[in-house]
Amino acid sequence: MNARALKRFVPSGRWAVIAVPFLWLLLFFAIPFLIVLKISFSRLAIAMPPYTPIVEVVDKALTLRLNLGNYAALFTDSQYILAYLSSIKIAAVSTLLCLAIGYPMAYFIARMKPSTRNIALMAVVLPSWISFLLRVYAWVGILDANGLLNRFLLWTGLVDAPLRILYTPLAAYIGIVYCYLPFMVLPLYANLAKLDLRLLEAAYDLGAKPWQAFLRITLPLSRSGIIAGCMLVMIPAVGEFVIPEMLGGPDTLMIGRVLWGEFFNNRDWPAASAVAIVMLLLLLVPILVFNRYQHKEMEGRLT
Amino acid sequence: MAAITEPANATPAAPGGDAARYLRIEGVRKEFDGFVAVDDVSLDIRKGEIFALLGGSGSGKSTLLRCLAGFERPTKGRIVLDGEVMNDLPPYERPINMMFQSYALFPHMTVEQNIAFGLKQDGLSKDAIRKRVGEMLELVQLGKLAKRKPHQLSGGQQQRVALARSLAKGPKLLLLDEPMGALDKKLRSRMQLELVNIIETSGVTCVMVTHDQEEAMTMATRIALMDQGWIQQVGKPDEIYEQPANRFAAEFIGSVNLVDAVIDDDQPEYVTLRAPAFDAPIYVGHGITGFEGQAVSFALRPEKLGIGKDEPEQPHNKARGTIEDIAYFGSHSVYHVRLPSGFKLMANFTNQQRWASDALTWGDEVWLWWADNDGVVLTS
Repeated sequence: MNARALKRFVPSGRWAVIAVPFLWLLLFFAIPFLIVLKISFSRLAIAMPPYTPIVEVVDKALTLRLNLGNYAALFTDSQYILAYLSSIKIAAVSTLLCLAIGYPMAYFIARMKPSTRNIALMAVVLPSWISFLLRVYAWVGILDANGLLNRFLLWTGLVDAPLRILYTPLAAYIGIVYCYLPFMVLPLYANLAKLDLRLLEAAYDLGAKPWQAFLRITLPLSRSGIIAGCMLVMIPAVGEFVIPEMLGGPDTLMIGRVLWGEFFNNRDWPAASAVAIVMLLLLLVPILVFNRYQHKEMEGRLT
Repeated sequence: MAAITEPANATPAAPGGDAARYLRIEGVRKEFDGFVAVDDVSLDIRKGEIFALLGGSGSGKSTLLRCLAGFERPTKGRIVLDGEVMNDLPPYERPINMMFQSYALFPHMTVEQNIAFGLKQDGLSKDAIRKRVGEMLELVQLGKLAKRKPHQLSGGQQQRVALARSLAKGPKLLLLDEPMGALDKKLRSRMQLELVNIIETSGVTCVMVTHDQEEAMTMATRIALMDQGWIQQVGKPDEIYEQPANRFAAEFIGSVNLVDAVIDDDQPEYVTLRAPAFDAPIYVGHGITGFEGQAVSFALRPEKLGIGKDEPEQPHNKARGTIEDIAYFGSHSVYHVRLPSGFKLMANFTNQQRWASDALTWGDEVWLWWADNDGVVLTS
């Protein structure tokens, strides 16, 4: 038996390198997911842990009992459906707001001189160095009836009575847009900085005014950046719990809060797991669409 | 003055657009933060001609081209095209289109869409656009590739798309920025002639920028040689080659032997020069503008020199030396001959015979000679 034949059966170094991330994904993504999936098919029980096993030995027969009741409840109880819809709406509107604010930011940062550009990028990223919770809590101080914003507005005389912003959906929007804006700006910046400025010159040369060149050249060429930024904002925003909880008040219905309530208030782990699984599926669809789009674009570049 | 150059300055502003002065560049100067990129350049460009701005990097040729396209505003001076002053028009309002260096094709559009871009901008009807795009595709022979994206095309094909795109709107002036810069050498010489044919078919006036003298000489009807923001010489390719205006022009274009000399005898019909590098005097068979004792340069192209083992009979225009280096180019060889004074002369020898038995070789003692009117006396 020669060495080459033997080599085929011995794992190579390349294999070891790939194994590390795979193991990571298995341990921290696939296994927890399977556990949650399992719990979602069980029944609530007063026990420790608080759910029934789905695989049991009954009369010496190994039986698998899948309880679909949790899922059925999701689609019959309007509270869940409303929460899903409301989450998607809040996430979608926040994403569009992030895009509307983030695109011009990214555009102008990409056009800055390299020295000022780094400072601007730093300013975008710097708030992330402070704890997420602290930053959200800071908004309580700003939006409160006696908060900075209201005191400023009263001082300028623009309003007679303090505005009620905190604990309304508006506050949740403000919080989400604020927290996720860097995730929109950074991919857009990376995309816009790559743009070949000679393409714009070529467009001007062919008769396009600056705004026409923007619509026909810059915007279509930054599409992958827009999609990446929107995904990075939309996906975590749908499942957001902290911001609606701290800023949104009782009117801000989001699926993250429902999940929290099922899990911690009702101690209904099976229902909470089902909520989580459906949310995951809801998020998976846009991710797959994005992946496919990216794939297509890569193929287009290579051929 | 030895050189016969076309006047490159002093053009009074005449109204209307006569064909001889279709594009007028009048005293154009461009400064960037105190650095003068283009220094009072004046040029008249005829209708339908292919005019080349030739120069090294930093010569100001690209800045001048960008001034014509409208991407830069001249600090001073006027650009007049067909009787219309261009200075205040933004690029998108000028009847000028440019073929960019490495083409700047829109990567997200097909060949067709690229060519149609400018036409759509003009608000033409769909049918008119389709017809014009079809004509353009036919002109550059790319009909089969209309639906391809730029990255699916070869370099030469991309270049033809870029040309079609810049010609589609029927501009009054076509600008070419280093048109062959992105092509490999073999393709280059083919595309040069093809490009000229297409441009001549369309009849458009064309200004091109290049650092490649061969490209300028092959493609252009006239060349302006630029250095440090100045026009050094304007003329037809052969004029620039055979009658360089100054040392810079002589050295930039082709290879040349430049010898320091002093005017010895200045007569109306002839001049003799004394060069410390040569033992024999230099005899020039025509009069020049100069004075006796003036220090000049004598420029001699290597292909004008004869080379052989026997001493020529003429008493002047000859030198003796030993062959130090031979550069073999296949079609010809360049002999580097060291004179007793230490000066080195290059002489071309056409390899007409295969395996010539009496071929000159390293270390051979040889005579070099040239005819009375083969050299150029340069006073600057």
